[in-house]
Amino acid sequence: MYALEVKNLTKSFGKLVAVDNASFEVPEGSIFGLIGRNGAGKTTTIRMMMGIYLPDNGEVVLRGVKVGQEFKNQVGYLPEERGLYKKMKVLDTLLYFAEIKGKSGREIQRRAEDYLKRFELYDRRLSKVEDLSKGNQQKLQFISTVLHEPEFIILDEPYSGLDPINTNLLREIILEMKQKGKVIIFSTHLMDFAEKMCDHIVMIDHGKIILKGSMKELKSKYAQKNVSLTYDGDISFLKTNPLVEKLSDYGNTTGIKLKNANDAQQLLKLLVDKNINVKKFDANDISLQEIFVELAGHENGNNGKEVRNV
Amino acid sequence: MFNYRVIAVIKRELKEKLFSKAFIILTLMIPGMIFIFGGVSVMLNLTESKGLKFELVVENPSILLDFQTEFSKADFVTKKNYVFGYSSLKRDEFRNFLNDKKQQIINDNLTGVFFIPDSAMNNKKIEYYSKSPQNISLSRELEKPINKIFLNIFFKGKSLSAEDLDFARSGVDFTGFKVSKDEKIAEEGYGNLVLSYALSILLYMSLLMIGQMAMQSVIEEKGSKIVEVILSSVSSKELMTGKILGSAITGVAQMAVWLGTILAVSSSALIALPPEISLNVKPELVIYVLLNFFIGLVLFVGLFSMMGAIFDNAQDAASGNMPIMMLIIIPFFIAISMMENPNKPYVEIASLFPFASIIVMPARMAMIDVPLWQLILAVCINLATIYAIFPIAGKIYHVGILRTGKKPKWSEVIKWLKYKY
Repeated sequence: MYALEVKNLTKSFGKLVAVDNASFEVPEGSIFGLIGRNGAGKTTTIRMMMGIYLPDNGEVVLRGVKVGQEFKNQVGYLPEERGLYKKMKVLDTLLYFAEIKGKSGREIQRRAEDYLKRFELYDRRLSKVEDLSKGNQQKLQFISTVLHEPEFIILDEPYSGLDPINTNLLREIILEMKQKGKVIIFSTHLMDFAEKMCDHIVMIDHGKIILKGSMKELKSKYAQKNVSLTYDGDISFLKTNPLVEKLSDYGNTTGIKLKNANDAQQLLKLLVDKNINVKKFDANDISLQEIFVELAGHENGNNGKEVRNV
Repeated sequence: MFNYRVIAVIKRELKEKLFSKAFIILTLMIPGMIFIFGGVSVMLNLTESKGLKFELVVENPSILLDFQTEFSKADFVTKKNYVFGYSSLKRDEFRNFLNDKKQQIINDNLTGVFFIPDSAMNNKKIEYYSKSPQNISLSRELEKPINKIFLNIFFKGKSLSAEDLDFARSGVDFTGFKVSKDEKIAEEGYGNLVLSYALSILLYMSLLMIGQMAMQSVIEEKGSKIVEVILSSVSSKELMTGKILGSAITGVAQMAVWLGTILAVSSSALIALPPEISLNVKPELVIYVLLNFFIGLVLFVGLFSMMGAIFDNAQDAASGNMPIMMLIIIPFFIAISMMENPNKPYVEIASLFPFASIIVMPARMAMIDVPLWQLILAVCINLATIYAIFPIAGKIYHVGILRTGKKPKWSEVIKWLKYKY
């Protein structure tokens, strides 16, 4: 059963096709990642899901029904570009955000106060937002995203601009929401984060979906013949070795693609023989980054137009 | 269109604008300032010409006494304490006299010198020497008594009855009567002129103030990136509607405070206005002005919000919204120019013209009786204008608020209209 189905979404701005016939499904109770580089069309897709943009074509279906205001009320949305009313008081801000979601009254006020206590902001509830530190403003923004108890949490590039403490805090909130059975959808260009957090992903490049599925399945599909290596020493000799088809350096780890899936043991022996200090040798493992590069070409090879500020 | 989301937005707008300290202070300050300025200018009028010193020189000594007696009875001597020195000199001697007095005039020890030549008995031309010879209020004050003296002398010895003489002496006195649909024809002072003037200024100020505030608030929402968060709950149409109505209610409340003050002053016994400027403020006028203004605010705030959405900082917006400012400034000047003659043909057109009618119609109503059909037509034309331009303004608003980066060209803004939003 899918919680949300995106069907054939298309959106262009003038001549630029920002999202091109994108279809994917978000399963119930999943942490779902929308992955792609900057300008790939992630934000435009999310905006269409939220009904902020009207798609040129296609539709978004929520548990069998086309999305509308009902869906908006069930979503907690944290856009990449976030903001608060600077002159508004902390508690007023939370109550206002809940009110436009259709939640008001004593119950929501109590819950807002609970959250403020938990995030150590209760003493500041009557302060103006502009008087809070940036980190505290981010906390306030998180609370406003989840205060109305949404069924869906949509986070667009959630980690951009967060300090380490708030990064952890947000991760905590995401996991807590997952435990409560909520659906979490987030977009990111950071493959590491996506790899750690998501159980389902869709990869988008130049407005087109290039990959989708559960993380496990995708990895096992793309991991064959692949070795993920962490080491000390010089492995440049591998470039010309007949066992190896391709060598990709990702900084911390190196991805090695073998010509034959059964050659992994031979490769390990070769490394040990050449006195390479092998710290981690993971056969049949592949990082999301490697999959992305394999599918979308080199990261810097940005040959198309990108969507910005539209 | 009206739902809890729009109402929540309106509530927030009112909290931010109507109930902000700065706004309340400004709203209360403006009528206060008007009274202070009014009071100061009245005081200046009263004090300005007190204690002036003049020399009056006649060429014919036989008429000197006539001037002395007539002037000693005149208001400007009895009330304003003008001091006159009297002498009788021939034209040649007057030249020397004037040379002697020149320094005094320049030092302001002497305000001016009047010379009444013999020829004045025939052509009533007299000469005035001063640092500021084109003094209208002075000539207005002196004209009557001097004319009276000339007439006395001219008709002396001619067999005229005292009655004939009195008639000849008297000037023409204009008394304005306002002809209206009412049975009675009322004598009218300058009160309506003052009211018309006040309405023009207040409407103009409030439109600018509320319009600018609305634009600022859109720029702020866009600049602080809050707008996308809001749009995840509220549609852009609902947001725009809420903001416009919030601003319009704020503006009408402000205008109600101002007009209420005028109404209170005009009907209060405490502040006795001079009869010439007694204001005749009808409650119907106030109600119409408020209604008309509400519609006007909706129209203008819609445009200002659109401008705020196109630009992302106040400087760019300030230059970009010039055309809209013109829609406020030009009608204001038309309204002011109307004071001279409210029957100018362009005034009638302007009072029905979309945008312009918001200022011109109330100003015109204060001066003359405007037919009811014109009042209704002006409102309908503005409503039709709203109906025509709001879909466009709404679309530009929608595209604009989510757009950041470099200042868009107008040609790009037109392209936005083709996007499907």
